[in-house]
Amino acid sequence: MREGRTTIVHTLALMVPFLVGTGFLELASRAGWVESYLLPAPSAVVGTLWTDRVEFLAAFQDTGYSALLGLGVAVAIGTLLALVFSLSEWLERALYPYALFFQTVPVVAVAPLLVIWFGFGRPTVVASSAIVAFFPVLAGGLAGLRSAEPSLMDLFRLYGASRGRVLVGLRIPSAVPQYLTGLRIAAGLAIVGALVGEFVGGGGLGSVVDVAKTQQRVDKVFGAVLLATLLGFLATLVMGRVETWARRRLS
Amino acid sequence: MKLFSLGLFLVTSLGAFAAPSDLRLTLNWKPEPEFGGFYEAERIGAFQAEKLAVKIQPGGAGTPVPQMLAAGQTEFGVLGADEVVTARARGLDLVSLFAVYQSSPHGILVREERGFKTLADVFGHEGQLAIQRGSAMALWLEKKYAPVKVKLVPFTGGIAPLLKDVNYAQQGFVTSESLLAKRQGAAVRTFLVSDSGFDPYLAVVAVRGDYLRKNPELVKAMLRALNKGWVSYLKDPAPANLIMGKLNPTIDAATFAESAKVQIPFIETAATKKSGLGSMTVERWRTLVEQLRAVKIIDKDVSPESCFATLK
Repeated sequence: MREGRTTIVHTLALMVPFLVGTGFLELASRAGWVESYLLPAPSAVVGTLWTDRVEFLAAFQDTGYSALLGLGVAVAIGTLLALVFSLSEWLERALYPYALFFQTVPVVAVAPLLVIWFGFGRPTVVASSAIVAFFPVLAGGLAGLRSAEPSLMDLFRLYGASRGRVLVGLRIPSAVPQYLTGLRIAAGLAIVGALVGEFVGGGGLGSVVDVAKTQQRVDKVFGAVLLATLLGFLATLVMGRVETWARRRLS
Repeated sequence: MKLFSLGLFLVTSLGAFAAPSDLRLTLNWKPEPEFGGFYEAERIGAFQAEKLAVKIQPGGAGTPVPQMLAAGQTEFGVLGADEVVTARARGLDLVSLFAVYQSSPHGILVREERGFKTLADVFGHEGQLAIQRGSAMALWLEKKYAPVKVKLVPFTGGIAPLLKDVNYAQQGFVTSESLLAKRQGAAVRTFLVSDSGFDPYLAVVAVRGDYLRKNPELVKAMLRALNKGWVSYLKDPAPANLIMGKLNPTIDAATFAESAKVQIPFIETAATKKSGLGSMTVERWRTLVEQLRAVKIIDKDVSPESCFATLK
């Protein structure tokens, strides 16, 4: 009962800035304070979303699917590397600096190269998405694997546990919270990466933005941007749920 | 309301603080012979002679010239005629003054190995064609050469994929990308898009309608200076090329020189010999409006007369 009420209050608190913001934009647009070619009225954006709903829905699914694949690739590689690095300090020293490259790589700049390597279409989009989503997985996983309590580590050592046993019995369980935080960040980034990939590789909401921009359709650009943010919001929401669930199970 | 206007004023005036009296001429691409006459006007002091302080601002992929003009972020802007019509249909009051390219140098570049003879061949065969999606040109060609067999892919600039992949085709200027491809050793054939009937004025100098109405003398002075610049550049492009080459080192001096030569027939035509460089006709604008309606980029009529102004 109490929890239900808190959820309602939270939802309301979330809605207030949204309603005030869109209300103000709508007013500013109707009153002619801002020109519609600079900032379209929220009602115009909603109208466009409805008129072109078939195109928008297909693009939404397309981008969502690519981002999911990109996140999958990032999680697979990031997790594997985090495990390997946690087992071998030597390998970590040799390879981690190169992994850092992925944190700083300006994906916008390398995106045209991705097209040359992977060709047009989904492979480029997935690659772009994976590149930006990869690092938080690795960093979160590695920091988590390192976070095992020293006293417990000593205990495992005292009983003569092997490296593998320490990993499975202690390190991995204590890594979960930070690993999941990394995953949540990665999920949002995967969508940004997919959009950038779509600008050069084609498909999804990225293409919708590109076409709309070319045709000076600001309302449509904003519609696509809105859907992209919604996608990010959903991703973060799902990952947040997974995190809460995992934490509860662990404690 | 007052506070909001103040905020808006502060934001919009930030750019103006740099040089309050300068008139800005914003390009939609990097310095190239396409803009040679503008840089030449600066070099020979044509702006000063008209008592104008003009700052040429190079652009790049995605420079939103129509919106910049409408928002007052630039006084003069260079864009395509199709963009002017589209802008007007969207409620932006833009007026064209001077069309550098009387005929569009837009082409579709294909590798010679494929043995294509016409534009129709490009669209009737499998392969990839990189073209700005949603552009009037792309939609026009798709409609004209339907059913299209080639796969349309995003155009991201440059010619690297064309050099790598035989079955790749792309958009490009005969005055620029075609020359670069040849220089890099690729046997490339270019089909002019204008042969398909789509031939908008390009590299068009435009202003906002109310700016033109408020400052007719200033705009006339600007046009005299631009004209002087182009006349001089067509006579001898070398000095301005040198200046542009420093601003845009990705193009070598030889390509600059060649491009300046190749573009002459697109700038000097029978029409300009009669009515002057940059001049435009209402028939051409009418055709363009009709074509944009046919490909559904605009869904309402735009008066061709409103798209341009002839100042004498």
